[in-house]
Amino acid sequence: MKEPKIIVVGGGLAGLMATIRVAESGVPVQLFSIVPVKRSHSVCAQGGINAAKNLKGEGDSTWIHFDDTIYGGDFIANQPIVKSMCEAAPAIIDLLDRMGVMFNRTPEGLLDFRRFGGTLYHRTAFAGATTGQQLLYALDEQVRRFESEDKVQKFEGWTFLSAVLDENRICRGICAMDLKTMEVRTFPADAVIFCTGGIGAIFRQTTNSVVCTGTAQSALFQQGAYYANGEFIQVHPTAIPGEDKCRLMSESLRGEGGRVWVPRNAGDTRPARSIPEKERFYFLEEWYPKYGNLVPRDVATRAIYKVVFEEKLSLAGMNAVYLDLTHLPREMLDRKLEGVLEIYQKFVGPDPREEPMKVFPAMHYTMGGLWIDNERQATNIPGIFTAGECEYQYHGANRLGANSLVSCIYGGMVAGPAAVKYARNLEKGCDATPESVFYAEASRQREANDSLLNQQGFENPITIWKELGAWMTEHVTVVRVNANLQKTLAKLDELDDRFSRVNLADRTQWSNQTLQFTRELGNMLILARVITLGALARNETRGAHFKPEFPERDDKNWLKTTKASYNGGKIKLEYEPVDISLLPPRSRKY
Amino acid sequence: MPGTASKPDSSYFWDKLHSLSGIIPIGAFLAEHFWSNSYVLVSPERYNSTAAGLEQIPWRIPVEFLFIWLPIVFHGCYGLDIWWRGKANVLGHPWMSNWMYVLQRWTGIVLFAYIIWHVWIERFATHGRSTFAGVAHDFANPYYTAFYVIGVLAASFHLGNGLFNFCCKWGIAVTPRAQRAAGFFGAFVGVIFSVAGLLIVAGFVYNWHPFSGYL
Amino acid sequence: MMADKTFILRIKRQAAPQERVVWEEFEIRYRPHLNIITCLRDIAEKPITRAGDGTTPISYDANCLEEICGACAMLINGYPRQACSALVDNLEKPIRLEPLTKFPLIRDLQVDRSIMFENLKRMKCWVPIDGTYAIGPGPRMSPEQQQIGYPMARCITCGNCLEICPKVNDHTQFVGAAIINQVRLFNMHPTGNMHARERLEAMMGPGGIQDCDNAMNCVKVCPKSIPLTESNNEINRQVLKHAVWDWLNFSEGPTERDEEWKRLGIQK
Repeated sequence: MKEPKIIVVGGGLAGLMATIRVAESGVPVQLFSIVPVKRSHSVCAQGGINAAKNLKGEGDSTWIHFDDTIYGGDFIANQPIVKSMCEAAPAIIDLLDRMGVMFNRTPEGLLDFRRFGGTLYHRTAFAGATTGQQLLYALDEQVRRFESEDKVQKFEGWTFLSAVLDENRICRGICAMDLKTMEVRTFPADAVIFCTGGIGAIFRQTTNSVVCTGTAQSALFQQGAYYANGEFIQVHPTAIPGEDKCRLMSESLRGEGGRVWVPRNAGDTRPARSIPEKERFYFLEEWYPKYGNLVPRDVATRAIYKVVFEEKLSLAGMNAVYLDLTHLPREMLDRKLEGVLEIYQKFVGPDPREEPMKVFPAMHYTMGGLWIDNERQATNIPGIFTAGECEYQYHGANRLGANSLVSCIYGGMVAGPAAVKYARNLEKGCDATPESVFYAEASRQREANDSLLNQQGFENPITIWKELGAWMTEHVTVVRVNANLQKTLAKLDELDDRFSRVNLADRTQWSNQTLQFTRELGNMLILARVITLGALARNETRGAHFKPEFPERDDKNWLKTTKASYNGGKIKLEYEPVDISLLPPRSRKY
Repeated sequence: MPGTASKPDSSYFWDKLHSLSGIIPIGAFLAEHFWSNSYVLVSPERYNSTAAGLEQIPWRIPVEFLFIWLPIVFHGCYGLDIWWRGKANVLGHPWMSNWMYVLQRWTGIVLFAYIIWHVWIERFATHGRSTFAGVAHDFANPYYTAFYVIGVLAASFHLGNGLFNFCCKWGIAVTPRAQRAAGFFGAFVGVIFSVAGLLIVAGFVYNWHPFSGYL
Repeated sequence: MMADKTFILRIKRQAAPQERVVWEEFEIRYRPHLNIITCLRDIAEKPITRAGDGTTPISYDANCLEEICGACAMLINGYPRQACSALVDNLEKPIRLEPLTKFPLIRDLQVDRSIMFENLKRMKCWVPIDGTYAIGPGPRMSPEQQQIGYPMARCITCGNCLEICPKVNDHTQFVGAAIINQVRLFNMHPTGNMHARERLEAMMGPGGIQDCDNAMNCVKVCPKSIPLTESNNEINRQVLKHAVWDWLNFSEGPTERDEEWKRLGIQK
């Protein structure tokens, strides 16, 4: 049969890995990315990547990694696929090592491992404190190699608009827009792999990058893809608050010995270092003696909220806590953590080696995402596969630190060959799809652009976005109260209405970033609703989803996956059971 | 615009030859030239006899051509090309190394003009015979003297900084520490040549011979 | 109400490469810790110049906003740097924003830096692995080697070092320090070194290492403090060694391993 056509959308870790796997199997790939792939959000991952290689003589194993991941995710992830990921992780590290990632080394020349949240083992391989960057570059280089052999064709500076679905709702390609010329075009494909990352922009002030809008997931959702577990949003306990974004202060800072504390006396205005040890409240260490500063993120974040908002023990003048590294040796800090410390110094000023950092939780990651089946990374739309943060499968209700990189790469490794296999087995490929199907989709998207460009009104997209972010951050992150979620839904109605009166300040047809952003904003508003509806419905507390009105996990009613679907502007929630065949749920106490 | 190189071409060879020719033979010749002229600081007679000795070497024209004229013409012309292909931005970014880069180019241009003039008046206009009286007569013209001073300083700088560049371009000074050492070495050579050159000029201008007696 | 403290932003604008250049001034409300990206977002929310004329939002590239993706490089007060880490508090006012000048302009502050990625491709900046199958660990590496390699591997391809280099211009094809640094990185990796010859050959081509003339500006504008001049000089050394070897042999320079193979009587 003819060589199948595969498209990968998104050039972060998952997308690049999927691309490599497809190209390696001899099938040419077209790779689409909004930014040059080397600038993808994966570069922001700092701390490391988990794999139970047990190189420290602690008796770690892939089963314990699996157990930690399921337990950390509060038992709502389907277990077999998580187990497969944990089993594949050591080989993934080896692969990355072979690709030339500059992982930190032991004196013997082997990979060094450090501790991370939610585990008691040294399981996290790292390259300084810019591990995501180093991994992304390694994969980028391999893709570049395939590109030089004409096995990969890159479309950088293109944004995905919609999938091309034929009359049987089978995916036959994509419709995308060149962000420079604003040309809207369709690209036929037998299978498309979506690796479009996070959705942080919905919450605006997050640790995510500008492109993490979830626009592709939302578009696919509107075309019939299930969106699963949207309500599980991870808020990272330690970030620098900022107006444009919150800058992540990696968990590895605590993994290497950093301690979180506040002054015991409210309103203590003394400089941090002059506060004597006995007047410091190391609340994580006191409350969670076993895991200390390395409790999972949801637990640490809630602890900080409790200290700041309930016990009113915040730092003078701001909602923040200290993350203290000043007791650690300088040489170690420079060797293992420089990348993060540099960010703090550049954006805040003081040297964290000398002065404790002031940090506060910030929205960081979505555990939820496009629904996929259990072994092929396939969505419910035939021909659409997905990997990375944009799918929901691996992290349950709370992701453990340093598990995201491994899930991205593992997902890409599975999705690539799965897409090739699917495409090869197709009876009729995209070549047999009538031209009219592509033409219709392109026209639909051009019309969407035109209608936005010609829309009259006085609403500004940035203003709507700011309000969206503020509401979502306040009501749909750490603490969820049903009444507030209801109010948020009403607010979303208002924003939807105002969105229909958005006035584009730029109506040109050349690198029109306003048009691009406004299209993304429209999609964000819909995903925001999925997240809020999911949170409203789930009347329990599980992992990152915390409802004071329902403070306990409720396995009887809620040990199930949320599946949202979209039909004619209406969002419907349904539920499916979780595969707990390997590990019976137990209560989660750190 | 940045290019997309993939295969070697001749530019690498010419560039390295340019870099090398600045040291050997031109730098070496400059050292010899300053040394010979330093005899003026002993006495006019010693100067004249040294000049006569140099004028009477065997194979004079081929030796001059091969070891002096040809390298200088090549170094100068290729240097002009390098000057043309650089776009200085030192005014917005006045870092020392950036100044060095710009000065290296401009002293090159100055020297290009200076050497033509110098060779003309001291080599061809004199039919290849240099005497203390002849040179001292030239120095009676203050414009000549000024140009000489500029030429001496430019040549000293160009050689000193050129040595530093050579150390970098030939991969001799790699680490920052080695770069610093090479920088000091270049500066040292530049200062020695400047001082020696200025003293030689003074020797001619003021009929000054500090090394005339036994010390 | 007390009047807000404000400051002026002057931006060089061009709606498209063929359009004419216009300078526009904007008055921005001051807040502590403000960076240039936030200013540009302020303008997008209220695209009105200081003179009160309506205009279009500024086009610019940005992504991570924490100086690790390399997207938002531009000239800020004439100095190439990342807009995300350029804090208003530390800048002389009025602040002047211009696009990088050494790359083709797209619009306003947006330029096309794809040539850098193209050059990484031509210089074979990758480790040639056999495949992604599970075939065991990578080569061992001493912590010292890692400590040399890692800083080089932090290059974010922002283009600052090309922008500031006097030898990157229309009269040369110089690839610039960022690319040379990557060549050094891959030549030092135990497996990457197997392609060292091809990279060094490429480094001797048009726009190769010989175009570096030691202005040493690159190292001063690198946001990641990469020892770029060290990389340049190291590649100078490697290329020279390679070139001299070739020249002495009047041919394809055999590597030391080839020589050994010959002595052992092994045919390639």
